[in-house]
Amino acid sequence: MKVSITFDRLRWEEKALSEAAEAAGVEATLVDSKGLIFEVPKKHPDLGDVVLQRCISHYRSSILTLMLEGAGLKVINSHDVAERCSNKLATSIALANAKVPTPRTFLALTSEAAEEAADKLGYPFVLKPFTGSWGRMVTVVRDRSTLQSLIEYKEELANPQEQHMYYLQEFIRRPPRDIRAIVAGDNIVACVYRIAPPGEWRTNVARGAVSKAFKPDTELKEIILKAAEAVGGGILGVDAMEPESGYLVHEVNNTVEFKGAQSAVDTDIPAQLIKYVSQVARR
Amino acid sequence: MNTSCTECGATLAVPNDAIVGELVSCKDCSQEYEVAEISNGSVLLKPAEQVGEDWGE
Repeated sequence: MKVSITFDRLRWEEKALSEAAEAAGVEATLVDSKGLIFEVPKKHPDLGDVVLQRCISHYRSSILTLMLEGAGLKVINSHDVAERCSNKLATSIALANAKVPTPRTFLALTSEAAEEAADKLGYPFVLKPFTGSWGRMVTVVRDRSTLQSLIEYKEELANPQEQHMYYLQEFIRRPPRDIRAIVAGDNIVACVYRIAPPGEWRTNVARGAVSKAFKPDTELKEIILKAAEAVGGGILGVDAMEPESGYLVHEVNNTVEFKGAQSAVDTDIPAQLIKYVSQVARR
Repeated sequence: MNTSCTECGATLAVPNDAIVGELVSCKDCSQEYEVAEISNGSVLLKPAEQVGEDWGE
């Protein structure tokens, strides 16, 4: 069995996955995607039985996965899953359709409609970009004048999707932490709290959040696995919150980072992920 | 393996176990590089890509 781990920025995670594969006796090659060339539809470099897609750039990852699948290769995660996870609206739709508890969410296609949607949702709410990660540009909007200022800023953006369209989500009152579950297939590999640093409401590790291990209860386990299934399954990072009313899943990440979680748990996360990759390769 | 920072000229020490694709930063000016090639104990660096709007998980 031969596995390729494609990357465009070699982080701790990709090196750990490569080392875990070696330890498991799986032949795995780190492949810099920036140097790959394909001739449509079938001529491609030898990338083995399965490709573990780990590009940090969403668009590069998406295009590369599209090409790899088009060439007949098996990719983790699939293009469908990647697209569903990398667009927050697509994730929200998948979660809601699968009846996974998720915050109330609105889409508005103009600035005027955004103000109307905000009135329906109520202040404060959270304004998020459709595509993006690490909590970047995720903003709590506390009143109409703040929204109007944000609209002015958004209209100056170069990206048409973010310039004219609005993803608004209910602001959830929760402890200063959220839950990150790392899922591989139908297995919850690790589960941690991500505790926001002082002065920051966002709980992204990229924003300085600290991870702390915890054991999910049966209800949360079911919700996590249902959320992973709702987006199509694979290796995923499911993010949930715990308001008093019950668990809510707000995001599912396609190229999950796990350095923070690994610092908090005993489970060998990369070893578990490679085990899943091996299972998929044998199918 | 030592080389020079093209930005500020400081000596850049690249670990001997570095692999192609790995990132190294200049301790003096923080310029980030990617290891492009390693051969016969010498290392070739190229400037690393800058953080993009679509980067993330």
